[in-house]
Amino acid sequence: MRTFRILLAKELRSFFLSPIAYVVLALVMLFNGVAFYASVRILQTAPSEGSLVTWTFNSPWFYLSYFTIFPLITMRLFSEEQKLGTIETLLTAPVRTTEMIFSKYVATVIFYCVLWLPSLLNFCVFQWITRGMTEIPTGQLIGSYTIVLTMGLFNIAIGCFASSLTKNQIVAAILSFSMILLHFLLGAFMLYLSGQNNQQFAELTSYFASIQHIKSFASGLIDTRPIIYYVSFTALVLSLTHQVLDFRRWKT
Amino acid sequence: MIDVKNLTKRYVGRTAVDNISFQVGQGEIVGFLGPNGAGKTTTLRMLTSYLPPSSGTVSIAGFDVFRDSLKARKQIGYMPENVPLYEDMRVKEYLYFRAKLKGLSGKDMRERIGKVMDRCGVTDVRKKMISSLSKGYRQRVGLADTLVHAPQLLILDEPTNGLDPNQIRQVRELVKELGRDHTILISTHILPEVEATCDRVIIISEGKLRASDTPQNLVNRLRTAGTVSLEVKTDPAAATEKMKKVVGVRKVAKDSVSEDGWCRFTLRVEATCDVREELYNMAAANHWPLRELARHNATLEDVFVEVTQAEQV
Ligand SMILES: Nc1ncnc2c1ncn2[C@@H]1O[C@H](COP(=O)(O)OP(=O)(O)OP(=O)(O)O)[C@@H](O)[C@H]1O
Ligand SMILES: [Mg+2]
Repeated sequence: MRTFRILLAKELRSFFLSPIAYVVLALVMLFNGVAFYASVRILQTAPSEGSLVTWTFNSPWFYLSYFTIFPLITMRLFSEEQKLGTIETLLTAPVRTTEMIFSKYVATVIFYCVLWLPSLLNFCVFQWITRGMTEIPTGQLIGSYTIVLTMGLFNIAIGCFASSLTKNQIVAAILSFSMILLHFLLGAFMLYLSGQNNQQFAELTSYFASIQHIKSFASGLIDTRPIIYYVSFTALVLSLTHQVLDFRRWKT
Repeated sequence: MIDVKNLTKRYVGRTAVDNISFQVGQGEIVGFLGPNGAGKTTTLRMLTSYLPPSSGTVSIAGFDVFRDSLKARKQIGYMPENVPLYEDMRVKEYLYFRAKLKGLSGKDMRERIGKVMDRCGVTDVRKKMISSLSKGYRQRVGLADTLVHAPQLLILDEPTNGLDPNQIRQVRELVKELGRDHTILISTHILPEVEATCDRVIIISEGKLRASDTPQNLVNRLRTAGTVSLEVKTDPAAATEKMKKVVGVRKVAKDSVSEDGWCRFTLRVEATCDVREELYNMAAANHWPLRELARHNATLEDVFVEVTQAEQV
């Protein structure tokens, strides 16, 4: 536990001292800001169904940040360590492979949460400025951020996995981007199939389709099935990462 | 301290380390030599539990490197080849990080870090970013890191690689000094350094153990021990023929012929006999003007060459 804390502190430190963190933060703030602004405009120009929250979390700008964040914040994790060779000094000190993986994973999750704070502030500030004249449904907010967090847990694990596969950060980023996109498209495809009245897919969809999850969570429907799905797959992907790093040691 | 039994490492399509066994006792300084690609780094990585062996066992201070990995690792200070360091940290910060990882804390840790920074000469760069250090300083930071938890055993993979002669000498002094209260296994290509510091030498080549003894014994046992250099003024071809016939000379090589007729020869001679007198007499009898006749004892370098490329000697 002590080792984990030391490593976590180091990882957090290198996150917050790296320029890339601030580039990502700026990018995410920009995308979320635009998504938020666009939603406000939509609601301003014409009365429409859905609240500010549902519009914001279904806007293309939200998806833009969804697809860019993960490769950017995870590509460094193991690739850099392997490139510099510091993984050798790290794993010949009294450090377990699991401690190394969890410290990096948890640090990334913490950074990911920080990335979403400004967007939450958008809603708070908006509510405050309009003095409560617009209603922002708390349930929808909780739902949205729950799904953003759970999908984050899963996608960060995928990023860790991609980064453990290669020394090259760019390759790691492309790999994790492709995997995340593939998963997303698979879900969308399922959704399409179940739209075609294929009953056996309807059930699967509730697990698989990220796009559906975002829609339903943003409208305040908190479903435990996707949460379980994401969390258990996170565990699976992290243990795969462990296998890769240990297997690497067996081979090279 | 180190007990290696039948250690083997196979990579896809090649065997990097082939059934090596050796021991290193408490307090010994052992040089670990071999040509490029011999498997030194691979062996050291297996000793430090970074690489698992294909077969065989390693135990460090009684702990099996794979079953009691964490305990074994605590005994070791390991400096990998090329000294990997985190570029985005300051020297002091890095050493604190490493010291904490290795289980130090509080006042003890601060004192220890101060001491190793002094010892390795990095106190005046402690606030610098590691990415801005020169190679020699990086090497020293790496060394400070290996010493920080006061391990019993130091394993250094080419610690003097890329240093200037002054720094090589400093590292040599440091190794000697550390050798008083540490066990050291050091891999290097600088043989005079090994001769000056090591109690014992292990030579491997193509993954196989070729020799393991004190430098002195290795040199003494060498078949072609030593050379004689000779400079005479004569016809080189005839002189070569004559000298080859002298008992104890194994090989005659003509180094150079100057414009005014002086020829330099290097003769490989056997360890047991001194041929200088006979060479002198030969020169006198043939009226060759002689201006140099000197014997050089064999060095570890000769041992290295002979052991690692046996067929060419
Ligand atoms: N990851 C790897 N995969 C396949 N072969 C490898 C790997 N690492 C090393 N080798 C091979 O194993 C052999 C031993 O390499 P090693 O690095 O141990 O040599 P070395 O004695 O340290 O050489 P040097 O003096 O150049 O540092 C080499 O032939 C090398 O090509
Ligand atoms: Mg090497």
